[in-house]
Amino acid sequence: MPLVYPNMRLSEVVEEHPSLIPVINRFGIRLGLGDKTVKTICDEHALDTDFLLTMINTFLNEEYFPEKKLQTFHASQIIDYLRKTNQYYQRHQLPNIERHLTSFITMSVPGNNTLGLIGRFFSSFKEELTARIRQDEESCFPYCMSLCEQLREANAETIDGLQIPTGQQADDPIEALLNDLKNIMVKHLSGEYDENLCYAVFFAIASLEKDIKQHNRIRYRILNPMVSAMERLCQ
Amino acid sequence: MHRSKRIALILPDTLQSLGLVSLLTDYFAPVEVTYFPTFEALGTAGGDSFDYFFTNADTMVLNTDFFLPRRGKTAILIDNTEETGALSSTNRITTRSTQEVIIEQLQELFTNDYAANGLSAENNKELSTRETDVLQQIVKGITNKEIADKLNISLNTVLTHRKNITAKLGIKTVSGLTFYAIMNGIISGDEIEL
Repeated sequence: MPLVYPNMRLSEVVEEHPSLIPVINRFGIRLGLGDKTVKTICDEHALDTDFLLTMINTFLNEEYFPEKKLQTFHASQIIDYLRKTNQYYQRHQLPNIERHLTSFITMSVPGNNTLGLIGRFFSSFKEELTARIRQDEESCFPYCMSLCEQLREANAETIDGLQIPTGQQADDPIEALLNDLKNIMVKHLSGEYDENLCYAVFFAIASLEKDIKQHNRIRYRILNPMVSAMERLCQ
Repeated sequence: MHRSKRIALILPDTLQSLGLVSLLTDYFAPVEVTYFPTFEALGTAGGDSFDYFFTNADTMVLNTDFFLPRRGKTAILIDNTEETGALSSTNRITTRSTQEVIIEQLQELFTNDYAANGLSAENNKELSTRETDVLQQIVKGITNKEIADKLNISLNTVLTHRKNITAKLGIKTVSGLTFYAIMNGIISGDEIEL
């Protein structure tokens, strides 16, 4: 897929890839884009064009992940983005899936137990994700920010010379659960159910999965290595 | 999954080859394409290590001894828009046609490859009795070691069963397996804390 560049019209990019709408919303950009270029819109919103484009391009292309470039952004920018994705999951995507799921279960023929089980499986997934978000907010992100602060006070320049190790993407339990949820639906669904609502649920789950994959890639391969580098400097 | 199709392009035209490579990888993956500017270059690589051949009419005519026995696996690129209607037993790719038409022509060439003979749908995802036993234990949340002791099998066997279960069902996490087990009556919901 061709990459998006500053001189392109954002409206054209979004028309081509509607899945970007929540991503640009996270940056405070809303529809009604007119014919403005990405650069112009970023200037108007006081956003870092480079950062926005890197997020858009990594979101669209699974093969595109410029590790070195991502590590040149400030840790606070990365954390801010991850925090916004978390908020989006919690405020919009999870409730959205739940809404579809509830009608899927109640509108389908009563007595199909598999649907109830899918509902319960989703709840256990939701608990897991909510717990991680809580942990991010309460300890993980504040800790990262405090490391940044310490380094800034110590020496403003060291952060540029930060030696960041290459990050490893761990097997993420949240991704695994989502993947299983999809698999259970695709391969093992049985009995009578409402097809249309089933698709709505599945679609919502798949788009959450796509988003979480990008989130995790940034978390494991960029933020975590940044944190260990900063820890070494602070010692 | 399908094995990669090994494809030889014997074409002097570099752009033509690149175009084919891109169509083949976009629409007919997995493919391994090797490019030969001349027939002589192919000769040294050994013609029998390929499943399909793409070439032009001139090369074909000069080397009928090679291509005729491999007719079904060979496609000729022709500088034309549509099939002229001339009866021909060779597969043709008309290079001036639209992309849609060319893809259709390629599809015809590969028909047999997609005839779904390899994958036996039946019997493939059913768990064996032993795997079902292991699954019942897994979802109770006990360790691999305990499962081995309980079923009187080695730890390695437990691991193999687990691997096969995941492969057959496409489910990795313990919670996923638990729901599968309940959905299919392998355990009852009351036995398990969710």
